[in-house]
Amino acid sequence: MVSYEIKRDRITIRTKNKKWEWVIEPRYWRNSLIWVGLLFIFPAVAYFVSPGLINTMISANLLAAIALPMSLMTLGTGRVNFGPNFFVGIGGYVAALLSIHLGMGPLFTLPFAVAVSLFAALIYSPLVIVARGLYYVLISLLLPGVFFEITVIYTNIFKGDTGLFGIKPLVDTGNAKINFILIAYLSLVIMVAFLWGINKTVKSRYGLIMAAINDDEEVAHGIGVNINKVKVITFIAASGMIGLIGWFYAHYFSSFAGQTYLTFTFMLKIFLAMMIGGRATMFGSVVGAYFVTFLEMLMIRYIGAIQPVLFPVILLILLFALPEGIFGLYRKRRYREYFPTIHVRR
Amino acid sequence: MAEIMKIRNISKNFGGIAAVKDLSFDIYEGETLGFIGPNGAGKSTVVNLLSGYLDTDAGSIEMNGMDITKMKPYQRAHLGLSRTYQIPRPFPELTALTSVATSAICGKKRYNQSFEDSLVEATHYLEFVGLFSKRSILARDLTFYELRMLELARALATTPRLLFIDEVMAGLNPGEAKDAIRMIERAKNDFGITIFWIEHVMAVLMEAADRIVAINHGEKLAEGTPEEVVNNEAVIEAYLGRGWKTYA
Repeated sequence: MVSYEIKRDRITIRTKNKKWEWVIEPRYWRNSLIWVGLLFIFPAVAYFVSPGLINTMISANLLAAIALPMSLMTLGTGRVNFGPNFFVGIGGYVAALLSIHLGMGPLFTLPFAVAVSLFAALIYSPLVIVARGLYYVLISLLLPGVFFEITVIYTNIFKGDTGLFGIKPLVDTGNAKINFILIAYLSLVIMVAFLWGINKTVKSRYGLIMAAINDDEEVAHGIGVNINKVKVITFIAASGMIGLIGWFYAHYFSSFAGQTYLTFTFMLKIFLAMMIGGRATMFGSVVGAYFVTFLEMLMIRYIGAIQPVLFPVILLILLFALPEGIFGLYRKRRYREYFPTIHVRR
Repeated sequence: MAEIMKIRNISKNFGGIAAVKDLSFDIYEGETLGFIGPNGAGKSTVVNLLSGYLDTDAGSIEMNGMDITKMKPYQRAHLGLSRTYQIPRPFPELTALTSVATSAICGKKRYNQSFEDSLVEATHYLEFVGLFSKRSILARDLTFYELRMLELARALATTPRLLFIDEVMAGLNPGEAKDAIRMIERAKNDFGITIFWIEHVMAVLMEAADRIVAINHGEKLAEGTPEEVVNNEAVIEAYLGRGWKTYA
């Protein structure tokens, strides 16, 4: 009862009483469903072509899933947090310690990892109200470093130098390849869920309020926005999301080391993903994360591990050449589409 | 006429400097109250105190019988107090329509108002100030006069009962200034709001204000009808300096 029809410019699918039509025209390619669909096909294709690509994809998804809440945080608090990896560390260490010492599986460590991240964010949140500009940058930049120092000082708990091992794996089906592909899909689901939720928030009235805070806090306060409430809630929610990715890292690699996640290099990767896509643009963050991860993979394969040197250079060039990222170029031409405009016929 | 705002003995010190000293006056419902003073008299400080950006050191501010001395700016906005700025402060990255829509969403509480409703309402205010055709243009790309009008639309969209206008004439040419005055008059009549107008240009207030309060060094010099205030010795002395008569 299903009939297909392919014409020059459209595909039509008809069932008994429904009709779907897809117009093949570049301006409809902006439909995010197409791109998300392609991402879902990717692991299955990579499984047969080059299984190593799945690993890169997982990394890209996780990086995007950090860059997305980070963008939300930047938009909602009107400040750039230079230490989002602090919450990756918290989520990861909580999951790792609970799994190692209490033998908890990933499903049981998840609520604890997120809850502790949220609690840490709640304690951290007054800074979003009090500190501004350079002071906020300095404090947020220092916190992951301080946390790393703590993991080294209390090395009997955190194993700061070597990292914690023996964390229960995220998925355990007995078949390594299937595990891998399941993890790829799980990371993709988390990333897409973040993307959907955050994009929905940004396009709603709360997004508009956040944009107002981002533009001018005092004026936003004057027109009736409870800026402290909005800033704290955004900050805590975004931190919880980042903490969840820490949990994912810990169970995915079955090990967790501050050396990897609490250092400047990792922070730089998150930043580069955000900047390439465009500050505080959601789809841009995903593009940026994929770009950075694949660039890193190519660099390691063909030039050697010089990304700690090259990434800052790329970031600097981008700051001057393309301050609003790839999506900034698009936005400059078509900013009207960013927020709904209404057209009144006279 | 009932008082919409009662200001009693407010004071503000910045370090050792007393910016506002023991200032008291009332704003009555439906009037246009002019607020004048020479440079550095403390006009903007008073506006900041009344709109909640600064905390008073002493004294009380009441709005509709409610003590708002300790309230934050957003709470005062919800009660129906709105302001424009001396130098326009638009949201540069938002379009004209969305800037005004933000006000409509955040201002006085309106129940069951959807995002789309607020956009429709914003259109109304944009049309009122004559910026409808510029609704999709980013605020940073508007001209100075248009920014002033956008500020007015943004302030009106919070549905205020009392509107503070801070030196609306600054930077406008005579033609634009005339338009701006007419627009404020219309806003007052159409929306039934009370206006508290801080201004440097006396001629404007002579025409538009029902009453005028003059201050200097943070203290009240005179209060009364425009004619009374303009002919007040202390006011003239504050503007022209002591011994002005010898040069007159």
